[in-house]
Amino acid sequence: MPTRAFTFFVAPSLIIMLALMTLPLLASVVLGMHYITFRNLDAPLWVGLQNYEQALADPEFWDSLEFTLIFIAATVPTRIVLGLIFALLLDQIKRFRGVFIAAALVPFVMTPVVGTLIFRDMFDRGGPYWYWMQQLFDYRLFMDSTTVPLLIIFHNIWTATPFAMIVLFAGLQTLPQESLEAARVDGASWLRQLWHVAIPHLRSLFVFIALISIMDAYRVFDSVFVLTQQNPIFDAETIMYYNFQVALSFGRLGKANAMSILTVIGIFVVLIPFLVMTYREQVEEV
Amino acid sequence: MTQTRSPLARAVIYAVLVVFTIYNVLPFCWTILNSLKLPKVANSRTPRFLFQPTGEHYADLWLNMHPEDFAPYGLALLLIIFALVVIVFYAGRLPVPNGLIYAGVAAAGLALLLGLPRVVNTAEFYDYLVNSVIVTIGTLAVSLSFGALAGYGLARYRHVISVVILVLALAFRSLPSLALVLPFYYLGQLSGLYDTHILLILCLVAVNQPFTIWMLRSFFMEIPREIEEAAMIDGAGRLRSFVSVIVPIMGPGIITTGLFTLLLAYNDFLLARILTQINWTLPVGIAQWTGGEDPGHITLAAAGSVSVTLPILVVIIFFQKYLIRGLASGAVKG
Repeated sequence: MPTRAFTFFVAPSLIIMLALMTLPLLASVVLGMHYITFRNLDAPLWVGLQNYEQALADPEFWDSLEFTLIFIAATVPTRIVLGLIFALLLDQIKRFRGVFIAAALVPFVMTPVVGTLIFRDMFDRGGPYWYWMQQLFDYRLFMDSTTVPLLIIFHNIWTATPFAMIVLFAGLQTLPQESLEAARVDGASWLRQLWHVAIPHLRSLFVFIALISIMDAYRVFDSVFVLTQQNPIFDAETIMYYNFQVALSFGRLGKANAMSILTVIGIFVVLIPFLVMTYREQVEEV
Repeated sequence: MTQTRSPLARAVIYAVLVVFTIYNVLPFCWTILNSLKLPKVANSRTPRFLFQPTGEHYADLWLNMHPEDFAPYGLALLLIIFALVVIVFYAGRLPVPNGLIYAGVAAAGLALLLGLPRVVNTAEFYDYLVNSVIVTIGTLAVSLSFGALAGYGLARYRHVISVVILVLALAFRSLPSLALVLPFYYLGQLSGLYDTHILLILCLVAVNQPFTIWMLRSFFMEIPREIEEAAMIDGAGRLRSFVSVIVPIMGPGIITTGLFTLLLAYNDFLLARILTQINWTLPVGIAQWTGGEDPGHITLAAAGSVSVTLPILVVIIFFQKYLIRGLASGAVKG
């Protein structure tokens, strides 16, 4: 394709990304250097780096980062392992595969606010899970600063496992048949086939799922909003949720912009190796 | 891999998968039950699976009028929807181009949606539905048309610059959306666009564009170049060969990308929560019942949840194979 045609095709989308992403991002950096509340929206007060310093010195900011990191560490490996287990189980059967997969899509496609709401109802007093836990283990679940963070983590695993399962199941269908055949001829057990053929073949998919999962877990918001009911006593604020509160509940727009720029820097530090890797992969294909 | 032959192992595998399926769908089934209960039953301390069902919460949710007065309109509505479904179903056998039929049915559906409040006294929740539909359609139209052009360009132009753009897009994909929406909020307040559909659509398009071009590009890569080269030899320009030759083959790829865009726009809560004040979308409308103090909230929230989820489930079940193909292709770099 000649360069002129390329410019013609790509320019509209590039202009969108520049005008609607790059400019707002730069605006955010600048807004972060101003003192802005709902009262002085049209007359922001220049304060230099003060908001950035305040954000970095804010213990709640670090608390929310800590919970976000715990959340990532708890959910990302779990969804990959569970996704692999269920993908392997699906791989073992032929009948009703479609039904099992369709059912798994339900928590995945459901509007997150709604999904969290109905998930919470299951654990609220009088809900089936609450009742069965009480009957079977004599445990009365009570929403407090231990259980609510756990429910936020569990909810995420509930909605995200199907994604990992479907991606890995599709990967299992494209295993190199010659290697499997060779393994079978050698009398390799299922476990050895898994370890020596399947897992190495799925490696790039693991990286892919981990990458998506880390990005999404880092910015989890909706489920925190619903499960904490905006009540601080549950001590389950994620970084996005705290940032949202600083902006809309406390009305400190300048500080909130500074915080969101800090979180952007945070995720980029983690992702740069992945971005470099993708760049190398793609350049090879050119 | 080798499938086990042992009947015991197979029984265990099926049992585990059945439990997994129940775990996946039980909460939604429970919500359907809750939406049909009287508040007293829904707030009972032991879960009740058998009860006298009531439709009153759905009526409260959608209507500002007595359900009995609505009945004739409801019947007419059902008949029209049924007729539209039948037309779509038999589109292939009618002597009119399919595209024209689908466009006509979509226009009729939209007219029905927007016109209903003029005839029937609908409640606020109906306005949220209208807002959600407008925002979703707007986002789909803008993101897909711009994304398809860029995805095609990036798939066909072999140069380092394409890779740089793709990696930049991937970086944008990872941005926490709050970093974008706060400046949108601020600029919206200053420009007077705050609380309009346009601002929300622009923001959703921005958040969605990187993903769209990645996914569409990977679908365009699968189409051999010879096809459009043939069309160009026949005298068609590049844009014309793109629109009349490539886009029709790309149907499945565009549907797949469109499904993910639809989920993003329809399910979004954070952007709509920040960028709207009264023109709420459905998720923002539902979130008002997240506090648990009022005993009536459980049933109303349940009716709202079912109402929000059913349309999306119908769409997903109908297009399931496209969604799974999109996930399976691993092209979903986002």
